Amino acid sequence: MASDPNDPYKALGLTKSASQADIKKAYRKIAKTDHPDLNPDPAAAERFKAASAAYDLLKDPEQRARYDRGEVDASGQERPQQRHYYRDYAQAGDNPYRQQGGFDDFSDVFSDLFGQRAQSRRGAHSFDMRGPDQRFTLEIDFMTAARGGSTRITMPDGNTLEVKIPEGARDGQTIRLRGKGGPGMGEGGPGDALLTLTVAEDPEWRRDGDDVEITLPITIDEAVLGGKVEVPTIDGPVMVTIPQGASSGRKLRLKGRGIKGPGARRGDQHVVLRIVMPPQIDEDLARFFREWRESHAYDPHRRT
Amino acid sequence: MERRFSVRETLETVSDLTPEQLDRYIRAGVVQPVQSQDGPLFREIDIARLSLIVDLAEGYHLNDEAMALVMSLLDQLHGLHGDMRALLDAVAQEPPETRARLSHTIHEVRVILRR
Repeated sequence: MASDPNDPYKALGLTKSASQADIKKAYRKIAKTDHPDLNPDPAAAERFKAASAAYDLLKDPEQRARYDRGEVDASGQERPQQRHYYRDYAQAGDNPYRQQGGFDDFSDVFSDLFGQRAQSRRGAHSFDMRGPDQRFTLEIDFMTAARGGSTRITMPDGNTLEVKIPEGARDGQTIRLRGKGGPGMGEGGPGDALLTLTVAEDPEWRRDGDDVEITLPITIDEAVLGGKVEVPTIDGPVMVTIPQGASSGRKLRLKGRGIKGPGARRGDQHVVLRIVMPPQIDEDLARFFREWRESHAYDPHRRT
Repeated sequence: MERRFSVRETLETVSDLTPEQLDRYIRAGVVQPVQSQDGPLFREIDIARLSLIVDLAEGYHLNDEAMALVMSLLDQLHGLHGDMRALLDAVAQEPPETRARLSHTIHEVRVILRR
């Protein structure tokens, strides 16, 4: 065990006799100096990685005892997924934590590149300043986005706020709540709260622009004979006629049953049929098809 | 779809984070979970951010205000880092003459003028 290249004690600069407090202290010390979010040196990142894996293994006295007895080894205990450092997310162009104040979309660097430096560097000459806009992300479900509605959110200061979601809200759309942002200075009024909407994926509904699509399971007899079945829409269930001899994958279009787009026009709803077999193939059904096959066999590959 | 963590899952995932601590950081705006009908939801970026915050809080004994400042500086630093990399990538795709001209201008501005 002493020659273990992954010796967690060594990674923390300790020996086996270290106390639990020593272990925590040693890890915290390394995190302080070598954290990849604070120290760009790759060697520091390696030290931190080894130390945090060691800390994960040794912080729990029971697990540590098992390691000391040789029941688990250091490599086997590494986290299955590597820890993601904050910088991996924060360097992305869409880091939500960076978009507070300043420009809407362009960062300083790119605005400068396009010659906007002159306008953008207005200083704060006055003591009356409008409060900063505050950005939040609000996740809503498919139906709330489609129909509109209202939802309550809790602001960071603990206050709750009623937010109206407009009908046909889309992913990435921003809702501005005037005066709900940060407080102003002097005579300046408060800033606005900007809510960016995310529409959560729905198990049933798919959305493509203003059109929506669902899959409708139908029985084998409905597929053969056709008939009227109930289909859910954004406005509630409607009766839809299944044509005789419908195949799985066939799409029916319900005009104007989609999402309200710009200009108040609504998109369409597409209903994708899917034939579902009965839970059990009984003898009647099997016998019928055995006989039917004798004289009516067809080749689905060649059918147009 | 990107995973979302509830408050309970977040506390399980980020080691050494207490419920009171999490509540304070939300109030101070240090971490801003996504709002939803089911209460606050944490994205992967929030989980990484909270892990860093715990490391910073324990290592440097930062109070919540100082933490907000440090995180804002880090966001600026990481953001500029990302911008710089994008800019360098864009420059690398330019023809050699353009790159030489840019390099010359940068040298004048950064090295000669600032000396």
